[in-house]
Amino acid sequence: MVTTINKGEFKSRNNLIATYLIIGGLVIAAMMVFGILMLLAQGGVLDLPPAAFYQFLTIHGTGMIGGAALAASAVMWYFLSNYVELSKKVFKLNLILSLIGVVMVIIGVFSFKYASAWTFLYPLPALSGGAWGVTGALLYLVGMLILGVGFLLLYIDTGRAIIKKHGSLGKGLGWDVISGKRAEKDAPSPTVVASTMVTIVNVSALTTGATVLIMNIINVVNPAFTFDPLLAKNLTYAFGHIFANSIIYMGVIAVYEILPRYTNRPWKSNRPFLIAWTMSTAFTLVIYTHHMLMDSVMPKWMLIMGQVLSYANGLPVLVITAYGALMIVYKSGVKWDMASGLIFLSMFGWVVGVVPAIVDATIVVNHVMHNTKWVPGHFHMYMGLGAVVMIFGFIYYLSKVDSSLQTNGLDKVGFISYTLGIISVSVGFLISGALSTPRRWATHFPEWMAPAVFGAIGGVLAVVGLTIFIIHFIRYVKVRGTAGSDLNEQKLA
Amino acid sequence: MKQTGLGIILYGILVIPPVKAYIESIMLLHMLVQLPLLILAGWFIGDMLIKKFHPFFTAWNTDGVPGMILVVFITMYWMLPRALDEAVSIYYIELFKFISLPFVGLFLRDSWKKMQTLGKSFIFLNYLSMFALMAWLYIDSPIQICNNYLETQQKVLGWGFLVITIWMILYLLQAVFTDHSEKAE
Repeated sequence: MVTTINKGEFKSRNNLIATYLIIGGLVIAAMMVFGILMLLAQGGVLDLPPAAFYQFLTIHGTGMIGGAALAASAVMWYFLSNYVELSKKVFKLNLILSLIGVVMVIIGVFSFKYASAWTFLYPLPALSGGAWGVTGALLYLVGMLILGVGFLLLYIDTGRAIIKKHGSLGKGLGWDVISGKRAEKDAPSPTVVASTMVTIVNVSALTTGATVLIMNIINVVNPAFTFDPLLAKNLTYAFGHIFANSIIYMGVIAVYEILPRYTNRPWKSNRPFLIAWTMSTAFTLVIYTHHMLMDSVMPKWMLIMGQVLSYANGLPVLVITAYGALMIVYKSGVKWDMASGLIFLSMFGWVVGVVPAIVDATIVVNHVMHNTKWVPGHFHMYMGLGAVVMIFGFIYYLSKVDSSLQTNGLDKVGFISYTLGIISVSVGFLISGALSTPRRWATHFPEWMAPAVFGAIGGVLAVVGLTIFIIHFIRYVKVRGTAGSDLNEQKLA
Repeated sequence: MKQTGLGIILYGILVIPPVKAYIESIMLLHMLVQLPLLILAGWFIGDMLIKKFHPFFTAWNTDGVPGMILVVFITMYWMLPRALDEAVSIYYIELFKFISLPFVGLFLRDSWKKMQTLGKSFIFLNYLSMFALMAWLYIDSPIQICNNYLETQQKVLGWGFLVITIWMILYLLQAVFTDHSEKAE
């Protein structure tokens, strides 16, 4: 794949992409430190006041999703801009609004002690029992709203560009190919298909999120205005689940783009691939109810839908992508380096990380496991070893095609350290879940402490690995553009 | 000029005391009929005003953004239950309503065509989430929000907002899933 833009634009685009990735990477690293501190506190090693624990919990969840979403959107933007004409102004605006939002959230959490967790579950923002006041809640909620506005603008722009090039979002998903009106060879590229899916689900999520955030703001300002808590929870999880889930669907674009360049085999959008992505588009929007399987007042059909469609949602795209990755690599003579290794690892993380989620999406299991640390076990594996590793793979890929920087033994140490670290964190959580350890609790019984300490040690290993990745990327930023990006990109294939 | 005349007639009808009193006696009509009609009157009258004061609009509303910001702020104010209540009780708020909303129509007409797709889409989605919130607020509120309107009227208004929200979603779906290839080419 050779880009169609000139070198000046390429350099300017890469500068912006690098800024996104550095901010995303640093935020993720900082959030990992908060994660370790929380595990140490739960493990009885660190004496952390419960109020501080819940502040850390709030910033950890919000920051991880925010930082990863920011970096993943850079991956999507980088590759999608090869196919459609995106606005750099909007991409910059998203970064600025995200930073403003993040600063407000940080001030809300640390200066005004806001600690509702990322879920800001109504009516908790207004009912803190004196733990935080109106200012903290407003800073957090308005900060989230500003973050959302930035991302909404970004996805409006990707939608506009896809419609301009392909005619409609349906065509971006390849519906005309599925229906047989257009030949498979003319199907949109996997990047366009994935970006269309992300655009559809995230515009829906962010619009829903805006509604529930403003509702919370009204309630915080004037608690006399009350709302239906069940509807509020539905909207909150519709927003949160979809937005968090979309990170892996943005990250997977790196898999679709990078592996073909390493193996010199194209990744084609065939009919099963397109059908799988359409299924994921539809199901991602409605399966958030698997977060509400313990809400007995929910309509039963919604809960059954949550279970059945959860199986139907992740699996098609996952199977088709994982199988595709295996096929494209099989006997290809691929050159394994940091980028290709991390991309391949991310497929492992995605596949393995989904298993505990599917187990938990089963209603009878959920009633026992959902409020335990089993669930963080799933999403640390899924995000830490799947989505985020796709981003790190892209970071190494970018430094390879846009500079003459070489990787060294230290990077390999980082790879091993990060992988073992995240596996340990996840296994620690899963074992805690199996021991019925409740999640989101600042204090643990002695019987629950050992896996938490084990997880914290794993967290340290992961931070060491991530720090090595970031150092490599900062070294790249210093020497970027030195090898002539377009030419280098051709050489790789 | 035809449109300007239409706008003036519409505005004239809306200020006739019995018409005004009847519309304002029902919350749904007040919020979802009178207010949009005042905006529509301003839109029609804008036909002549925008042409006449073309240099002013070109200088001060070049890309449509300043005008649209005014539109958003004024309409947001009129979505507040308290604003509606005070318009019935306090004469100068009522006067403000009959002046500000035609201006919304005027600026909307001038700004909408000048704005880019991105801005228009953002404004549309912004109103989509605001109307959804208004539907929720008015349907769900356990208390009487306005002095002048009963709780049952609030709920009817909420359902009205919900219908508008559903229509907006359906419009959005047809806009993004119908083929625009010809336009793009």
